[in-house]
Amino acid sequence: MSQATAPTPGTAPAGTSPEIGLSTDGLSKAFGGVQAVDGASVAFHHGKVNALIGPNGSGKTTFFNCVTGMIKPDAGSVSYRGSSITRKAPHRIARAGIGRSFQLCRIFPRMTVLENMLAAVRPHPLHLLRSSHDRGDIERARELLTRVGIEHLERVEARDLSYGQQKLLELGGVLMADPETIMLDEPAGGVNPALIDRIAGLVRSLNAEGRTFIVVEHNMDLVMSLSDHVVVFDRGRPICEGPPSVVQNDPRVLEAYLGI
Amino acid sequence: MSLLLQSLVLGVLLGGLYALLAAGLTLYFGVMRVVMIAHSAFLILAAYLAWFWTTETGIDPMVSLLWTVPLFFVTGVLIQRLLISRLRPATLTMMSVLLTFAVALVIEGTLGFVFTGTQRRVQLPYGGADISIGGVNIAVVKLIAFGLAAASLLALYLLLTRTKFGQALRATIQHPEAARLVGINTERTAGYGFGLGLATAAIGGTALSLDSTIYPSLHWHWIGPLMAIIVVGGLGSIPGAAIAAMVLGVGQSLLQIPLGTTWAQTFFYIALFATLMIRPQGFFGGRLAQRF
Amino acid sequence: MPSASDTRTADTGAAAAHAGRRDPRGVVPTIVKAVALVLLAAAIVAFPSVAANPFILSVGVVIMSYAVLATGWNFMGGFTGYMSLGHAAYAGLGGYSTALLIVKAELNPWVALALGALITAVIAVPVGIASLRVRGASFVIVSIAFVLILLLVFQSWGGFTGGSNGLRIPRPFGPEVLRPEQHERFFYIHAALLAVALLLWWLIDRSRFGIGLKAIREDEDKAQALGVPTFQYKLVAFVLSAFFTALGGGVYALWFGFLDPVFQFSILIGSYMVLMSLLGGIRSLFGPALGALIVGYAVEFFKSEYGDTQFHLVATGLLLGIVVLFMPDGIIPGVTGLLRRFRPQASSIREVTQAELAEQRAGGAHTGTDSSGGDSTGGATRAPDPQVTEGVHP
Repeated sequence: MSQATAPTPGTAPAGTSPEIGLSTDGLSKAFGGVQAVDGASVAFHHGKVNALIGPNGSGKTTFFNCVTGMIKPDAGSVSYRGSSITRKAPHRIARAGIGRSFQLCRIFPRMTVLENMLAAVRPHPLHLLRSSHDRGDIERARELLTRVGIEHLERVEARDLSYGQQKLLELGGVLMADPETIMLDEPAGGVNPALIDRIAGLVRSLNAEGRTFIVVEHNMDLVMSLSDHVVVFDRGRPICEGPPSVVQNDPRVLEAYLGI
Repeated sequence: MSLLLQSLVLGVLLGGLYALLAAGLTLYFGVMRVVMIAHSAFLILAAYLAWFWTTETGIDPMVSLLWTVPLFFVTGVLIQRLLISRLRPATLTMMSVLLTFAVALVIEGTLGFVFTGTQRRVQLPYGGADISIGGVNIAVVKLIAFGLAAASLLALYLLLTRTKFGQALRATIQHPEAARLVGINTERTAGYGFGLGLATAAIGGTALSLDSTIYPSLHWHWIGPLMAIIVVGGLGSIPGAAIAAMVLGVGQSLLQIPLGTTWAQTFFYIALFATLMIRPQGFFGGRLAQRF
Repeated sequence: MPSASDTRTADTGAAAAHAGRRDPRGVVPTIVKAVALVLLAAAIVAFPSVAANPFILSVGVVIMSYAVLATGWNFMGGFTGYMSLGHAAYAGLGGYSTALLIVKAELNPWVALALGALITAVIAVPVGIASLRVRGASFVIVSIAFVLILLLVFQSWGGFTGGSNGLRIPRPFGPEVLRPEQHERFFYIHAALLAVALLLWWLIDRSRFGIGLKAIREDEDKAQALGVPTFQYKLVAFVLSAFFTALGGGVYALWFGFLDPVFQFSILIGSYMVLMSLLGGIRSLFGPALGALIVGYAVEFFKSEYGDTQFHLVATGLLLGIVVLFMPDGIIPGVTGLLRRFRPQASSIREVTQAELAEQRAGGAHTGTDSSGGDSTGGATRAPDPQVTEGVHP
């Protein structure tokens, strides 16, 4: 279903306003006395690669967690493709078509690589007792493992993978759930340059197939080369947004990063 | 009317002891995310030590605090260092419950071994004395027990809010990663937090020994209400635990009038279930409670 | 999702050809497993006739009952990792509801047993709702609180439950059935119940529901983010667990013929279930039953040698502590791990493609056994596969 509704990138004529997929309005979350997300209103472009950047502690990860339902926001709303997903349970948001990765890569450590992929299958309630090792599911899992490049490790327990391989597995699992929009929290964090290239390539090709990306990232080269739209966060709210070239030269961004 | 007043006063006195013990239970949970099932077993152990001390030496049980408090503090630090810190972080909450549960069984069994299952009670010269204020009769031992609990709670409060160590401890409870970033040795702080928690059990046990009959399996009657208190108060919140302890202690005491002692105990459990149904994060809890 | 298949290469085609292979962790051939299972079944069927005397037979019944309870516990503990310390509550409720339905409603004992277990499952629903919406700590607290509250209620509500005096249950078989014969029948009834529980556990273990439950055990946040309805899954597993535990408690009550709240709603019985399951291995089908055999035998042995002493508490506590600290995975995973070590390395990775792999990654470092999870540059050892990067870059 995601494929049918996703727009073909690049077909929107220049000058028209972009289609909005995920958006938030006045989203707020405080921990104790610290306002981690402070009335953030953001609109992400559907069908594009969006980047969310900002200095450490600017509330990006908390924002992610509020959007995906892992944390309940204190105030504000989140909507996706016209319907509200505010305060919905995380699995409902996932089933609405939003997949995510975690900042410090999270996989199911004591399940095999293949089982990690199969855990992302969403069975019909009547088919819950069918074997998890369904032929069709396995085939699809193998295709995706091949695509991320770890197909030869399918029988290895996930905790025995290297960190880079775990990151690829996490991305594979997210793809297995077939989300329309994929939120990645620091996909390049802690991995070597060769792997960063591979992940960037995957993001590009998946985006070309119509998937929307929202990426939190600190690697500026990657952000600038990968994204169509950049949102800059500071102290829990967006301070500026636009195409990478514009954002790069915005004085407010420099100020936020350098703390002047 | 005087019966009501009497129950109210008794409820407050009991609530004070609950508050001190629940504060200890909250400390463990705060610093290590550990539900310390053995807390009440240590409480009973301390009561036995106080009883044993008085029967052997004839000296007042409160004097035993001079050695039980340091002993329990060190034991707490050791439990954290040698047992809890060995567990894998991923399964810490569940495994620590099992581990402290195992400790509780060992303590109960050992008490039964050494002192037999016979019910024990400290004989005090002032054991039967009571004071009458405005038609309310209060046993002196209950007043002393409350005074002990209140003073310790105040000391704990001052320690947590006025000292550098207290600051480090609260930072560790609220945000361990951030605490580490600002240079706090969270591992050591957690150990001391555990020691402090166990010290509350030592004080509580001595207070308990003053006016209660004790037996080895008595701790099960304490752990249920105490766990209910920390959930109602919001896991990880010490003020929350203290307030919940007072409210539930008074509630139990008042309910004893129409229901009798046995059924009044169910009040804690009903409060526990109601809290989890209506407001799982507890009524006075901070951010910790949402995740556990 | 047709898009992902665009990059399919010859290698994936080969991989797909092996799609029929099951059980990626299998270290023991299926034939050996089948033979072992038949032998085990034969041993259980033969036990009553080789048991030296009725006492040994009754110990067998007790151990069988423990095996049912521990396996019932493992529907929750094993799949989701949520360890209930108060599961005696459900065994006790199963026993009491069966007994009360017979005594007060004069139902047929077997109907009462089934109905009693259903009633217990229904009671478990609100308990599960209260304790499963948040994470582990509340679940454990409620599990202990629930058994304590039931003890209180069943002791105090004398008029209905018999209170501390206990409750006598008429035997389901007529007076012409003698004691040894009773033991034998109940041994088989317990065994049949155990077989049903094991079968269902096995079915769930290999099912899509099961993989969702195991995902919860491994990382609940992650499972939710992938779309697993964690609360609903946990609740179903919990109620199933309560149901089987209640059946176990009910059958035991019919056999023993007498219920006392102190023994039914006992923290110690609940901790036996945890200890047995953990010792045997909560991830394995037969783990809890194996643990029940070991712990159950030890408990009965000490009881007959030294009587009921505080030693039980100390021994249970020490053993539980040792298992939690030093072998949290239990005996069965430990043994299979050893077996694996003695087999060629290749068996842990997909054998058939080893050759292809070597060819494909000519000279590339072997990464399959790289266990340095913290090594952030671990990916560097492996050059990107040409065919992958080719397919990926637009």
